Amino acid sequence: MTMAASSSARAASLSMDFICSLTELGDLRKAYEQLCKEEEDVTRALDLLVERRDPLEAKMDSLRRMRPNLQVIEGDAKQLAQTITFTCSLAENISSKVRELDVAKTRVYQASQRADDILDLKLCTDGVQAALADEDYEKAAAHIHRFLSLDSAVITLSQQGPEGGAWADGLERLRAAEQQLKQLVAEQFEAAVRAGDGAQVERFFKLFPLLGLQNEGLMRIGRYLSQQIARQAEKQLQVSENMESGEKRAAVIFADNLTLLFEGVARVVEAQQPVVETYYGPGQLPALLAQLQPEVDRQARHVLDGFAARRDVQRKYQQVQSSLLRGNAGDKMEPRKLDSLLAELTLMNARSELYLRFLRRRVTADLEACEPDVRAGEQAKLEQLLSGCGLSCAMQELMGEYVTMEEYFMKENVNKAVTMESVEKGQHTSSMVDDVFFIIKKCVGRALASSSVDCLCAMINHATTLLDTHFRELLVGRLQQGFPAGALQDLQRGVSSAVSLVQSGAASLVQPGRFEPRPVDSSQEAQRVFLVTLNNAELCCEYIHTLNSSLEAQCQAGVGAGRGEQARAKIQSCVADLVAVSEKFQKLLQEGISDLNNSSIKPQVKPWISNFLSVSHNIEEEEFNDYEANDPWVQQFILNLEQMMTEFKTSLSLRIYEQLLVLVTSMIAVELEKVVMKATFSRLGGLQFDKDLRALVAYLTSVSSWSVRDKFARLSQIGTILNLERVSEILDYWGPNSGPLTWRLSPSEVRKVLTLRCDFRSDDIKRLRL
Amino acid sequence: MEDCDFLFKIVLIGNAGVGKTCLVRRFTQGLFPPGQGATIGVDFMIKTVVVDGTKVKLQIWDTAGQERFRSITQSYYRSAHALVLTYDITNEETFTCLPDWLKEMETHAATDVPRVLVGNKLDLTSSRQVSRERAEEFANVHNLCYVETSAKEADNVEQLFLELASELTRNARHPALAAGPPPPRLSGQARPVGYFSCCGS
Repeated sequence: MTMAASSSARAASLSMDFICSLTELGDLRKAYEQLCKEEEDVTRALDLLVERRDPLEAKMDSLRRMRPNLQVIEGDAKQLAQTITFTCSLAENISSKVRELDVAKTRVYQASQRADDILDLKLCTDGVQAALADEDYEKAAAHIHRFLSLDSAVITLSQQGPEGGAWADGLERLRAAEQQLKQLVAEQFEAAVRAGDGAQVERFFKLFPLLGLQNEGLMRIGRYLSQQIARQAEKQLQVSENMESGEKRAAVIFADNLTLLFEGVARVVEAQQPVVETYYGPGQLPALLAQLQPEVDRQARHVLDGFAARRDVQRKYQQVQSSLLRGNAGDKMEPRKLDSLLAELTLMNARSELYLRFLRRRVTADLEACEPDVRAGEQAKLEQLLSGCGLSCAMQELMGEYVTMEEYFMKENVNKAVTMESVEKGQHTSSMVDDVFFIIKKCVGRALASSSVDCLCAMINHATTLLDTHFRELLVGRLQQGFPAGALQDLQRGVSSAVSLVQSGAASLVQPGRFEPRPVDSSQEAQRVFLVTLNNAELCCEYIHTLNSSLEAQCQAGVGAGRGEQARAKIQSCVADLVAVSEKFQKLLQEGISDLNNSSIKPQVKPWISNFLSVSHNIEEEEFNDYEANDPWVQQFILNLEQMMTEFKTSLSLRIYEQLLVLVTSMIAVELEKVVMKATFSRLGGLQFDKDLRALVAYLTSVSSWSVRDKFARLSQIGTILNLERVSEILDYWGPNSGPLTWRLSPSEVRKVLTLRCDFRSDDIKRLRL
Repeated sequence: MEDCDFLFKIVLIGNAGVGKTCLVRRFTQGLFPPGQGATIGVDFMIKTVVVDGTKVKLQIWDTAGQERFRSITQSYYRSAHALVLTYDITNEETFTCLPDWLKEMETHAATDVPRVLVGNKLDLTSSRQVSRERAEEFANVHNLCYVETSAKEADNVEQLFLELASELTRNARHPALAAGPPPPRLSGQARPVGYFSCCGS
């Protein structure tokens, strides 16, 4: 259609008027051709359209056939919509009914419960009366419990309505019954207590919580159990009072009594805890313990009073205190008499600590089911109860006295060990050190056994003080006496010991303490004392470390374990102070050794070294050969040295001897150098010196376990220089030619050594460029 | 014990209830625990402070004031580098007891360790029973430093311990200037060393 329109439009391009206006033949022909062409176009378009007619008609046919089907579908759809609408309204209808039903059901349920409650109430009213009449208290209590747990709304509800009046009456009776039952249970409980009928006591104890009387129940059972504890404890106290002093446990009978008391309480707690937890609920144990503790305190007081009286604690304590304060020798308490008392005291404290720990553990377990904040509050309350209880206070007081007496025991025994000191033949150390540390270990160990961290720390502190002051000062005093070098050196010693006193000035400031150095009757005895003291100082270091490690091990396993970080840190700090004392002993030892070397060995060795000068080293072949046959100096020197050192070797410990030998070796090297620098040498004299030096170094190396060559490096370099052929030969060893040799001598020292050679010209030496 | 240059032990003593524990808590933890129970035996807290660029560890020993712990607390005096004697300015009795405490210090402590007298509970001025003048005079006579504190209001607490720390550090650095035996210098480990000399090595 559009094509036709377009072709007609195109036909219109040559309108009739235009054609009519044509006059020229050419134009006409042109128009004719155009028209013919357009006609052809139109014909082609028409053909095309005609061609498409058939398929279009076929399509139209099929559409026509579909029409009836569509009508059917439309009908169906309408029907479906109707059905859905209907179903929907139906469902809504039903669900609203269900909702109504549900509400109704709830109301019915509530109503029936109220009715049940009211019935229960009635049942309770009747039941209580009946149960009371039958003396069935459990049943009556159960009824009252039911009544008490009823909603108060039910009770008000029951008073409304037509039968309200009757109900009010019933309720009144119920309340009366409740009061009656409460009174009855209390009375029966007390009667059972009076009769000592445990089963009945427990029976009525269980009823209190049903009547809402938890606190009263706990209070009454607390009273009852307290009575039981008291009765038991009194019985035990009587037994112990009748005990003969010879019996096996007599020495610790009060500790045993305390143990029995605590065990009794522990049994009570263990027996009651399940009952309390079941019938009173968790978290009630602290309240019960608060009821019991005053009685435990009272009974413990009895035991402790008996202990104080029988063991005469106060008198002993005062005596100890006064002799500690005044330090007088007058009315001194024999420390041995304190021994068993101290042991019993620590045992008692250990028991009570154990008991308190038991209670803490139990309560912690009991409170586990409670809310965290409740738990914390109860725990704090318990802590207050336990740390402030009479038992704790009494034990703290006793342990305070214990520490004083233990300190005295330790001091006195240490004093005794010092006065009874002896040195066994063949022993390096004296009995004193062994004894002193035995005592300290015993005292500290006993404090450890008390399971009181504070007592342990206090005793460690006291041991530290004792070792650091009295005992160390004793050793300082003895070392200050010096080491007399023998009759010949007496004059020298007088000077040198004065020097040594000044040198150890700090030591002389220290008061000599309570131990007076023993008078030294002979110089040999004085020597022995000095050497033994050195060995003792070394042994002290060793023992302190042993004590430290055994304490550490015990603290890990015993007192420290299960206590807080705080307790362990406290012990560690005190132990660290103790260990620090060993370093002071070490220092004392070092000073003693160097004092021995400087003031005793050096004066003795110096003349032997000086003898070097009396032997001429400006020698010729003949003398050199003569020296070869009859050694003029070094062999004798070595012999003297060996004799002297043997004495030290036998009486000093190996470690101290070695340290001494190091000092002596250095001293010899220094002194020999001084002497050599004063001598004059020929070429052969230099060779002789080199030979002497080698012999000496070889000897010293043979007796010591370390290399002495280093100490003699300067001397052997001096030997090398003295052995040169001519002055200029030194340049073969000096500077770039020194090779592996490190010169310990400065250029000026080298020059100085060269001048010792009498055959070297000083001009040559001066000209030397070093 | 990590990298601190000095460790000093400071021991607090004085009657029960004058506030020793509160002073220590205030300084070491910055809190004032109300309703603090009586201390049992001995307790200690540590605080590290910096004095002129030097790390100083203060080990503060808080002792029980009650008589029955006396034999335990006394055992700590000798290792103390400084003693802090505390009383309560609102309680005359705690002041009149001071001479007894001084006597105890003489007997058990090393001579010439720094000693400070502290009047605590400055916050309760209205019920003050011991005047500052009296306390100062007492301190003068007995050669003590005197300071008044309030653990509750944190007054002077920090100053008290910091000044002690700097005095102790000064003395330890220059033993010659200090009157008493110098406290141990720590070398690597926290082990007090030396007896005749100390920081020399």
